[in-house]
Amino acid sequence: MTSVSLSLGPPALVRLHDALICLSKFSETVAIEAEPDILRLSALNSTKTGFASFAFEKGVFFEAYSFSSSSGGRSGNVSLNRFFCQIYIKALLSIFRGRIERNKDTAVERCDIELHEDLQQTECRLTVKMICGLGVIKSYKLTYEPAAIQHAVFDKSKATSMWTADPRFLKQLIEHFSLSAEQLDMYSDSGRAVFTSFTTKITEGKEVLKHPVHTSVAADKRDFQDYMVEENMHVAINLKDFKAVVAHAETANATVTARYTRPCKPLQLEYRFEGVNAEFTVMTRGQADIDDAPSSTRATIPRQTPAPIPISASKHHDTRPSVTPSTQMPPPPPRSRSIRPLNGSSTQENLSHKASADRPATSGLSMDFDSLFVPADDDRQWDEMNEEEEPQDILGWDASGTQDAFGASIRDAEPSFPKQDGSHAEDPDDEMGIPPTQRLSQVRQYGLFD
Amino acid sequence: MRFRTQLRDSRTFSKLTASLSSLGKVCWMRLEYEVIRFTIIPDQGTQVWASIPVGTIFDDTTYELESNSDAINIEVNISVLNRALRSAWGSTHSQLRLTKKDKTPLLALTVLASEWTEGNMALATNNDADGFGDDANPEAPADTTGDRGPRERQTWITQEIPIKILHESAVEGLHEPHCPDPEVHIILPNLAQLKSISDRFTKLASTDSKSRQLGVMAPEAPGMHSVSFSGSGASTAATALSTNSSPKLELSANMHGSLRLAIATDELRIASVWSDLVNPPLDPAQMTQEQMSQLPSELNRKREASEGFESGWAKVRIDGKDWSRVLSIGRLSPKVVACFINEMALVLYVYLPGNRDGEESCLTYYINSFTT
Repeated sequence: MTSVSLSLGPPALVRLHDALICLSKFSETVAIEAEPDILRLSALNSTKTGFASFAFEKGVFFEAYSFSSSSGGRSGNVSLNRFFCQIYIKALLSIFRGRIERNKDTAVERCDIELHEDLQQTECRLTVKMICGLGVIKSYKLTYEPAAIQHAVFDKSKATSMWTADPRFLKQLIEHFSLSAEQLDMYSDSGRAVFTSFTTKITEGKEVLKHPVHTSVAADKRDFQDYMVEENMHVAINLKDFKAVVAHAETANATVTARYTRPCKPLQLEYRFEGVNAEFTVMTRGQADIDDAPSSTRATIPRQTPAPIPISASKHHDTRPSVTPSTQMPPPPPRSRSIRPLNGSSTQENLSHKASADRPATSGLSMDFDSLFVPADDDRQWDEMNEEEEPQDILGWDASGTQDAFGASIRDAEPSFPKQDGSHAEDPDDEMGIPPTQRLSQVRQYGLFD
Repeated sequence: MRFRTQLRDSRTFSKLTASLSSLGKVCWMRLEYEVIRFTIIPDQGTQVWASIPVGTIFDDTTYELESNSDAINIEVNISVLNRALRSAWGSTHSQLRLTKKDKTPLLALTVLASEWTEGNMALATNNDADGFGDDANPEAPADTTGDRGPRERQTWITQEIPIKILHESAVEGLHEPHCPDPEVHIILPNLAQLKSISDRFTKLASTDSKSRQLGVMAPEAPGMHSVSFSGSGASTAATALSTNSSPKLELSANMHGSLRLAIATDELRIASVWSDLVNPPLDPAQMTQEQMSQLPSELNRKREASEGFESGWAKVRIDGKDWSRVLSIGRLSPKVVACFINEMALVLYVYLPGNRDGEESCLTYYINSFTT
């Protein structure tokens, strides 16, 4: 039996609506995670190259917040103070749309959201109650579905480049870019921060006029509040994601901080405001620099992080979960209901086709497309690996998804995740060996785990 | 081949490209020593031939042009150029030049945008979101980025617009359409007014035909259908076909200062009439007095108004939406002389204001008349 109930005042309701709009630019569904002190909304895009997350703090953001969970209904399960599910964003948005900032008598005064999940109940709903003026109460019941929540894990302490800027300033930069531009390359060049938009689309030789415009904007470093970026290192991200972040940061009037290390490794945009911590982890592309890679992992370990769906575990009986070096996010609890991963196997197939189709387009620019995840069990991903590409990265993913493919009987025997997680995170040698997010099938080749 | 210039008036250039881009995407741009020509010949609809003196949009002191054929012909997506020029608004320095990158010819626009900024002192101290590295001192980043007080913010913007270089032989065959002498020439009233009325008419006529379609659908409801409706059913089919293209406006004028804008459908008939407009005299330098007096427009001018209201008018039928796109040139507040060739074509000579040295920027629009 898990129950979550919370109350929002009108300003928080606006914030929630803004956050949902921002998330809707990443995915169609929003993952909701409730913890005793925090409510997190997150979205992972279909190509798994962008992950958006908003964490709302219990004491600051909400008028009231309570979370209770008991493992009573789930015999044998590891009890964790965590509940998660996913909802179609449009369904949530339609509730909040237009209910805000109206100077009418029936303007919303408070919004109560409740969720009770009980295994004994056949029907569980998320209820949203809008308490309006003149005693009007509007109630909505939404269906949600269980989900395997995936998190992009980003180690801030390892970031080597970072900048901080006012979102309005960033918006001014973006406005110069053509509407059809898809990618944004950023680098530092002798005192200036250069942002270039480009598109990696193949265009027929004849259709020169349809070639995209390259726009580059060079701003003074002083226009940033902080600017500590490695000189001449090009890092490119999806422009649409960047626009979504800047647009939201502007509504929140929060200063955006970007942290990253190298091309083909994740970049994180972050800001905090009013008890909300917004984090966007996106994959970058660019020319990977081999020399910087740890030599032990260079040659054979692919740069992609594996999918959190444990295909390898189902093949080998070694069910040791892949662990992440993250201390931020303990894995969610195992679920007793059957869980479908965020991306079913059929969509995985499509994704991989798409990814491989994208690839030739990028070669001309010696840019490389990279997913934050590797679609499960898709060996073509490895086939196309370029020798020049960056090997494994410190990016890890929360292992929560690994629950899914296990049968209930196996899961019952699993060790508690937080312990494992913690012990690995504290291990200083962790980054030296095999990055912990390797597919087990890969790892086995080294004979370390045989 | 070389072309490089500073922009003198990026706002006019931008407005010009915006108006041109409404007619078609592909623009033939011909750079000459004295003038820049813009030509758009869409597959259907109005074509425009513009001739803009270099000094109107470019700074002639920095204007550089080198070519074997004394001109450079390029093909450019005019809406892309327009979008790029937006970056040049309000800038102190913007340069346009012809260049090449990876064998693709480009028009490169380089802009230095300056803007007063209040500085970001207040925000800079707010470092609580910063978990970066081992930077323990929140004041430290300020040193790395220097002065934070109010100052002029300078941003360099480069827009690289892909173009196609056209060989002189490729454009030889292109020339302006030949038209018979017009029956009527008249200066159009304020374009904003003309456009809003035209758009209103077009809208009325198109909603009218839509509602009519709905109206005729009703009799086909069960139980309502009968033989007597077959006639109207046939006309519905015709209506459905004609709604694919937008309504046609009837534009007519005479040599006595009157212009009439009308639209007629089966159910409505509206007209707006302007009077006391100017029928400009023709340039006597172009032809002899005798030749001129034989022109149809001059014959019409001599007609007495008493000969009857309907005589001496020249009429064209033009597509409402296309006309609306043509009138988008109104944003440059030009003077427009409309030349009517009865039941055949409408030619607009659009003169941009504010030209120096008596050199005129002229855009010529050729609009075909539809037959009834």
